[in-house]
Amino acid sequence: MLDVALVSLIQDMSEKAGVDGTIQYWQRVGENLARRIGKEAYMGWPSFNVALREGRTGFSIEGDVIPLTDLAITDVDGDVVGYIYALKQCVFVPTILRVRYSVGELPRADRAVAEEYNNSIHDIAVCNFCVIHEKFREETAKNITIAGQQLESLLLATRGFTGETKISDRNLRKLMINPEHVRALLRNYECVYAVMMKGAKLKEGA
Amino acid sequence: MVTTATREKLIESNPFVDVATHLFLEDIADKQGASGLNNYLMSLATNLAKSMPEEEYDTWDELLEALKSGNSILTAFEDVFMPTKNCVVTRRSPFERGWQEYIKRVGSFSRIHEEVAAYYNSNVKPTSINSLHIIHQTFRAVAADRISVGGKRVKYAQIATVWTDGARKIVPDEWLPVLLQKAGISRTELNMLLRNNSDVWLLYTE
Repeated sequence: MLDVALVSLIQDMSEKAGVDGTIQYWQRVGENLARRIGKEAYMGWPSFNVALREGRTGFSIEGDVIPLTDLAITDVDGDVVGYIYALKQCVFVPTILRVRYSVGELPRADRAVAEEYNNSIHDIAVCNFCVIHEKFREETAKNITIAGQQLESLLLATRGFTGETKISDRNLRKLMINPEHVRALLRNYECVYAVMMKGAKLKEGA
Repeated sequence: MVTTATREKLIESNPFVDVATHLFLEDIADKQGASGLNNYLMSLATNLAKSMPEEEYDTWDELLEALKSGNSILTAFEDVFMPTKNCVVTRRSPFERGWQEYIKRVGSFSRIHEEVAAYYNSNVKPTSINSLHIIHQTFRAVAADRISVGGKRVKYAQIATVWTDGARKIVPDEWLPVLLQKAGISRTELNMLLRNNSDVWLLYTE
């Protein structure tokens, strides 16, 4: 109910504070949530991935996160510095359904917020909720260390409720991943992201 | 007609958004105090109810049928049963899952959620235990006002509330006989209902 109440505010908020004001609001919500969940430390990637599977990490509030351990990210020395992770279902799909069956339709501002975010910040949003989600993951990653090293999260691809997909050229270039690899993942997942050690020097042509 | 599976999804909350929202509400309270938070919660709930379509029924029995099946805006987010024609009982708070996720991921529920309820109880009506009841009860009042039966507006009154941790709030003794009479239940029946349900409330027309 609380989620539907928030959605009903988006139109009003966007009319009063502007679409960019709504983006800032969602980013603060995501940032706040990550900050309050707190810090975590792991010995290595296996322990982090097990914690993720068992729902013990900050990321786990999103639901069942699947570590794609066959998709490791390696650095110039060939060491594993990260993995690709995915959600089978976007966290917000149940909310979108609840809005559909209680209010009737998503407010027009949903589209407007996503488009403004895509134009001004990162071309990855398929709905306005992607704003909160991307910020939440970025901030959560900063709170986690593996073998003493801070992590960073990069949102790679999203698939929306209506089937629209977005693939982040910016982040794929950074990881040197072929977009077709990620496009294939979107057939089975709705949100794909990377978690890796911050500042890792990646192997070219990975 | 909403199917049973869809209905379950409608009632279920989104813990990600719920927890993020609780933290955001706590930030609002830091800046604006309990009165500012109370105003925000009431406007959030009012906004939600007003974004939902109005309803009209020819007879009270038609309204009861819509309430039971979840087709009325009043029961869009909660599963209810009606021991009498005017008494409505909510089995589980729609905020329960979000609260459980909060205490699991963040820690004890912040005291501000009770403090704002105390403000609401002394300035609006003495029926809430925490911030979530302000949203819920305001929503019900505004939603009821959007429903007419035989041309008359439906009125709502909260009789008693039980939170997931067992805390109870029953309307003051001087209000109780009138409300119980309208609801068509005795004090003993009220206590029986409060054993394993979350809310007892009243709908009527004048």
